[in-house]
Amino acid sequence: MLELRELAKHYAAIGGETIRAVDGVSLSVAPGEMVALYGPSGSGKTTLLLMIAALLEPTAGSVLVDGRDISSLSKTEASRFRLTELGFVRQSFDLLPGVSAIDNAVLKLLSTVRWREAHRRIEPLLERLGLGQRLEHRSETLSMGERQRVMIARALSTEPRLLLADEPTGSLDSQRSREVLELLRELCRERGVAVVLVSHDPLAAGYADRVLALRDGRLQDYEPDR
Amino acid sequence: MRLSNLAHLYRVRLRARLFQEGLAVVGIAAGVALLFASQIASDSLSSSVAQLNAGIVGSAQLQLSARDAHGFPDRLLGQVRRLPGVRLAAPLLEVNANAIGPKGSESVELVGADSSLSALGGALVRRAALTPFAGLGAVVLPVPLAKTLGVREGQTLTFQTGGKVSEAALFQQLGARQIGPLIDSPVALAPLEYAQELSGVGARITRVLVAPEAGRTRAVRSELLRLAAGRLNVESSDYEVRLFAKAAAATNQSTTLFAAISALVGFLLAFNAMLLTVAQRRRLIADLRREGYSSRAVIAVLLLDAAVLGVFASAVGLALGDELSVLLFRSTPGYLASAFAVGSQRVVSWQSVSVAAVGGILAALLAVLSPLRDILSRDPLAATAPSSASGARTSALLGAGGVACLAVSVVTLLAAPRAAALGVACLLAAMLLLLPLSFAGALWLVRRLAPGVTSAVPHVAVMELRSGRGRAIAIAATGAIAMFGSVSIQGAHGDLLHGLENAAHDENAFTDIWVAPAGSYNLLTTAPFATRGVLQKIEHLQGVRAVRIYRGGLLDYGERRVWVIAPPREATPLVPASQLVQGTPATATGRLREGGWAILSEALAREHHLRVGQAFTLPSPSPSSFRVAALSTNIGWAPGAIVINASDYARAWGSEDASAFNVLLAPGVSQREGVEEIRRALGPSSGLAVQSAEARASQQRALSRQGLARLTQIATLILTAAVLAMAAAMGAMVWQRRPRLAKLKLEGFSPRELRATIILEGTLLLGVGCAAGALAGLLGQQLLDSALAQIVNYPVARSLGLGAALASLAIVTAASIAVITVPGWFAVEVPAGLALQD
Repeated sequence: MLELRELAKHYAAIGGETIRAVDGVSLSVAPGEMVALYGPSGSGKTTLLLMIAALLEPTAGSVLVDGRDISSLSKTEASRFRLTELGFVRQSFDLLPGVSAIDNAVLKLLSTVRWREAHRRIEPLLERLGLGQRLEHRSETLSMGERQRVMIARALSTEPRLLLADEPTGSLDSQRSREVLELLRELCRERGVAVVLVSHDPLAAGYADRVLALRDGRLQDYEPDR
Repeated sequence: MRLSNLAHLYRVRLRARLFQEGLAVVGIAAGVALLFASQIASDSLSSSVAQLNAGIVGSAQLQLSARDAHGFPDRLLGQVRRLPGVRLAAPLLEVNANAIGPKGSESVELVGADSSLSALGGALVRRAALTPFAGLGAVVLPVPLAKTLGVREGQTLTFQTGGKVSEAALFQQLGARQIGPLIDSPVALAPLEYAQELSGVGARITRVLVAPEAGRTRAVRSELLRLAAGRLNVESSDYEVRLFAKAAAATNQSTTLFAAISALVGFLLAFNAMLLTVAQRRRLIADLRREGYSSRAVIAVLLLDAAVLGVFASAVGLALGDELSVLLFRSTPGYLASAFAVGSQRVVSWQSVSVAAVGGILAALLAVLSPLRDILSRDPLAATAPSSASGARTSALLGAGGVACLAVSVVTLLAAPRAAALGVACLLAAMLLLLPLSFAGALWLVRRLAPGVTSAVPHVAVMELRSGRGRAIAIAATGAIAMFGSVSIQGAHGDLLHGLENAAHDENAFTDIWVAPAGSYNLLTTAPFATRGVLQKIEHLQGVRAVRIYRGGLLDYGERRVWVIAPPREATPLVPASQLVQGTPATATGRLREGGWAILSEALAREHHLRVGQAFTLPSPSPSSFRVAALSTNIGWAPGAIVINASDYARAWGSEDASAFNVLLAPGVSQREGVEEIRRALGPSSGLAVQSAEARASQQRALSRQGLARLTQIATLILTAAVLAMAAAMGAMVWQRRPRLAKLKLEGFSPRELRATIILEGTLLLGVGCAAGALAGLLGQQLLDSALAQIVNYPVARSLGLGAALASLAIVTAASIAVITVPGWFAVEVPAGLALQD
């Protein structure tokens, strides 16, 4: 499903030095598989996700999704790819302020279907995520866990084949983190969605099919005690 | 994205920014309203004259017209009708008159015509029969005029014209169905013979309207010129409209300037309000782009925001502007009504609606699309980056641009005052371009002074203002523009008023009492009357030392309706000394007394390429040669003035009629006593009004003030709008900052310190903006003074205007700060715990 080949992102720093944010990462993720990437701040996790999402151009290497090189897409094609084939779960404060849970969740769907139809389609997913009673509540009145679930609903709303999750439990307590990770795993397995999850949270390891570590831009085996 | 989805997204997002959106609506609506109202005011003036002219002339293309109120013999009509190529020719008598009814009096144009005028198809006479009541001796009036005078069909009303008083019955009231928009025109219609009888001109007319056969216009014009023999005017039938356009140009230009400034203030208010939601919009842009929406889709989302805001705010603005034009700008400048038949109709053209609405929508577009850079960036994550403050290079570039603009405006003032519009535009640009530097300078100064103060207040204030620099500069710019508009326009207005008062003083300095035909149409003392009998009656009064004949009139000279002032040769002072711009009073007086010399307004002389000492032919009823004795201002009459002595006037006009008697009183007799004595001697039905020189000067001053009243009203509205705009923007900014205030509280700041911080921020922001505006306004005042004096040739008593500028600065800054202390007071009551919440 997803294949990274010697993917690299280098930046030129002041003084002529080169910062290797991502340095030759190769990785394959199968449909329905959840891969967790661990790493300290500045290890290149988010840079890696941005390149997979075609939001950042790699310095070298390629990102293949179903054999297609994402890194060579035009601006319009990259937008289309994100809209239809990719789900991106980010930290919960990216929800639109003052807007209800259901309207936040249908943001991507609005590109293809009328809003009534979008509401009709998203409601079962939100029910499944435990937000059935909170559909019309504004984002700022939702708890952090609820907001994160709205984000998951938005990411899965267009039935993507690949889902990226950037610190999805970063602002949640352990109980809420478990709930969110469990839902993410369940839904992705059911739908055959490949998941790349980057996190600091040790809990995530327990829900992933594979766990890897990213250190100084390079992929390594995950050692929990490090 | 589908339109219904865009609308849905707009609707669900609106809840979160209803207050800011409301502020933006208020701002745009205020700008649109002022722009629209001032356009209606200008259009209505010009259109009322154009409508009345079209209503009379119908399909006529040419006209043969008299050069003064005496007209020409009506037997000329037969000659015109016999000219080859003339399809139709209709006689007209147009006389200025004062109509008096039971409820009041109105200045009207008494129009005498016969049935041939109906054949031209003008709206005024198309449905008003001019023959059936000819034998009855009656007039017809538009319904509103009859109502104002309090007269109904069959009742009589009085007409004062040229010192003659007559009574006439009202035959018919003309409604909107008969005369359309002309219903608000100040016109009384009568059969030609009866109008001649009412005005006492005998068998004379003032115009012949001519409709040539197709393709014969040029030939007919040549024939008419031959017939006119240089003593009558041959012009196209819209000549009156062109003359009026020239006369009203100064008023319209100044109204346009005000409208532009008010639109700018309105836009800045909207922009300030939109800045409050920029963070939200940038986040939305980032969100949409990360989720895969294309730039086009994001632009569509924002365009819908702009369209809804622009259309709604423009609609509100148009409604407000319409109301404003009825309530505030309805009055007609009286000085124009003394020379043109200006109606009270309110003309709303589609052009005015379009300009105002498009302005409103453009303002919304500019305000909403301010984060355009984020959308157009190739990097979809651009909108997530913190908005960077302008770098040192940008500041330097802006500063250099500002200095260059300032230099252009100073050069304009010193070397090319006629290019004042360019100077004002450059000055405005300079002020705005230099504002970021001024703001940075003020912050630097506070930081330099802060170490001497044992308080964190100045540090926090500077820190806060730096973090929201874009918004702070936008607020300061609002204050700067409003103060610029207020100081420059009110200053120039004051100087102009002072100059006009000087002119009014000079025009009345050579007599104690004026005796002239009564009626508000005769404000410039231009109506001729026969002196027989009356002169002797006044001369023999006990309190009278001497009576002299004053003459004056309006003369169509090129494209200008010029005011000709002809004081008696013996008058002292003979020339308006304060109004001379070239030549000395002593020389000019000597030349005028000698005869054959004229003082010309500078603009008029320039237009006819005349210099002092040069000879020219005045196109008066009996064209006469004069030499230029000196150059003057326009003596308060926008199209220009000519001063000659009364004897020369009689020669050039071929008439011994007077326009007024100048009465000099015997020693020890006061002006009040003199007025009463003359009034008693003339009796109530003389048709002449007796007025002391002091009262006439005062009336002229009031007239000047009335003519400039609209400018004062708009200036006040701009200032009020600006104070509210700044206060609203500052208030919203303070209110939105509550989480930051909570954090400061958590750090141990007391509410008192926080309030002091807010006040200091407000003072810095408004102080910098308003001071920049006031300084630029002082220079702007000089530019406007120059423009008024050089282009329109108005009498301007130039001043520095420092006192008024300081007063405006203090009032606006104090008022705005007072208003922002209210939200400031409540904002600092925010619980410190808020800082710990999400």
